[in-house]
Amino acid sequence: MIGLERLSACFEGVIPSIIATASADGMPNISYLSHVALVDEGRVALSNQFFTKTAANILANPSVGILLVDPRDGAQHQLTATFEQSLDRGDLFDKMASHLRATSAQLGMADVMALRGVDIYKVASIAAVWSPVGAVASPPPTAEMRLAAATAVTGKISQATEISSIIDAILDGLRDSFGFGATMLLMLEPAGERLVTVGSRGYPWTGIGSEVAMGEALIGTAAVERHSVRINDMSRIRRFGSAIRASSADENRTRTIFLPSLPDAMSQIALPLIAQGAVRGVLFLETSERLAFLQGVEAALSIVAAHAAAALALAEHEASNAPAIMTSIEGAGALAGRPFKVVRHTYDDSIFINGDYLIKGVAGRLLVHLLGLHLREGRATFTNREMRLSDELRLPEFKDNLETRLLLLRRRLDEKAAPIRLRQTGRGRLSLELAGPAHLETVAARG
Amino acid sequence: MLIDGDLAAFLESPVMIILGTSDEYLRPQIGRGVGAMVASTEGRVDVTVSNRQWPMAVANVRANGKLAVTFARPHDYVSYQVKGRASVIDASPSHIASSRQYIAAVSAALVGLGLEDWVAAQWFSDEEPLVLSLAVESIYVQTPGQQAGRTFDRQRS
Repeated sequence: MIGLERLSACFEGVIPSIIATASADGMPNISYLSHVALVDEGRVALSNQFFTKTAANILANPSVGILLVDPRDGAQHQLTATFEQSLDRGDLFDKMASHLRATSAQLGMADVMALRGVDIYKVASIAAVWSPVGAVASPPPTAEMRLAAATAVTGKISQATEISSIIDAILDGLRDSFGFGATMLLMLEPAGERLVTVGSRGYPWTGIGSEVAMGEALIGTAAVERHSVRINDMSRIRRFGSAIRASSADENRTRTIFLPSLPDAMSQIALPLIAQGAVRGVLFLETSERLAFLQGVEAALSIVAAHAAAALALAEHEASNAPAIMTSIEGAGALAGRPFKVVRHTYDDSIFINGDYLIKGVAGRLLVHLLGLHLREGRATFTNREMRLSDELRLPEFKDNLETRLLLLRRRLDEKAAPIRLRQTGRGRLSLELAGPAHLETVAARG
Repeated sequence: MLIDGDLAAFLESPVMIILGTSDEYLRPQIGRGVGAMVASTEGRVDVTVSNRQWPMAVANVRANGKLAVTFARPHDYVSYQVKGRASVIDASPSHIASSRQYIAAVSAALVGLGLEDWVAAQWFSDEEPLVLSLAVESIYVQTPGQQAGRTFDRQRS
């Protein structure tokens, strides 16, 4: 007998499943159904959106026939199963409901597809239906392969000691061990309204500093729902994000960094990064392959996400407890090089360098603060603690994530090849480098 | 039961045909039809089925005659279910010709909706064709929505 887990591709809802029931007098009923989910090796869950006749038959006679179709090659499998119980709450219900909300929202059917209940069935037999053409799809990766990949990535994360190297270990690990080349890591902004990209792999531009609102699309939904959300066949899904790289002129005009995306993505998954019960960010992966994020892969990636969230939270906590992380300004080129102008617009905290949009928010305020201290006081060093206590920075207490903001700022300055850079000179130690004399200007009015 | 002209045309068009049967222990078995021919005034629907692909569904109908068939149009989910007593008969040359036309047309319709042709090819076999000749006793609207599960009202059209 083929195990249910081997049929994981059938549970993606890409090709409708079929359910047959029979009344007490044996008259059958046959209909399509939208969602069948794998519960464990012996049970499946059906979303309860049934027609009345199916529901009445199940009460009279708990035996059902279910036809599952593998969307990769059309192979059919017939299950005989028995109704066990209905659920209208609990983890499984929540997960199915949030998946249904996320996918139906993107289909523009959010109001139509509310989940009323989940029915659990015990599977008695699974039979492959004879095929005139034979099966062509290869089996999905085994549990052992996925576990080995998760072990490799979490092992690398465990070795990393600070935010930037943890993020690199996560994204490189997903590429090297799982083979997922297009990935992004977003951290929750302290105010909790937006997620901001702090690292990515596999896109024409990094998108460092690009933002996604809570609840928006797959990434924002995963953060709000606190569940991973995945789509395995994008052919019917309204696409989100920009496939065309935004020019600097666009960034300057909109004061927005564009979120990168694969133009031909067919599968996407967003996993919340949760540590100590709090959502700290989202890990996002996509690929042009269909059905890449089946349930078993999702489980392995969830292990990586949980480990990543814990490592990032610990690194942030350790950095905030370090008593005196020194930050020095090195002005080697500061007098000799070409002068440049840093402008801060107070109404939205956006920062422009020589007319090019850099960044908004806390990361921008950090840059102005460091540069301002240097210009006003001629100071060469100051501490992490000073930054945290500064009124000018308006860092929300307890949620400041200073290390992450500094990393975001550093990477964005690198990407823009700015005449002012943050260099990491050791663990928790940064230097500010200027390519010429800096002029800092504050503009209060919009424009 | 009279089957009106519009409904007959729908049942004979390239729509998905799924079959529900049950055995002596009330265990349901599923199958797929590959084409339907409607005798409107007699209230009969002949559904061609591959005995090679769906031997258990055919065996159930042979044993107890009870059959439910849902016809669903892939692009808009418009669906009707017919139920009644069926007998298993040999496929005539016209059944076979009609079934081949159906397989070609429904496959093309699915490919038109973006499905790969080899995926659809798994579902439509004409090997060992038999006909489930169904005397329709009831017809239901099965399209998802408010009307789902209601008895089909012939006066409406």
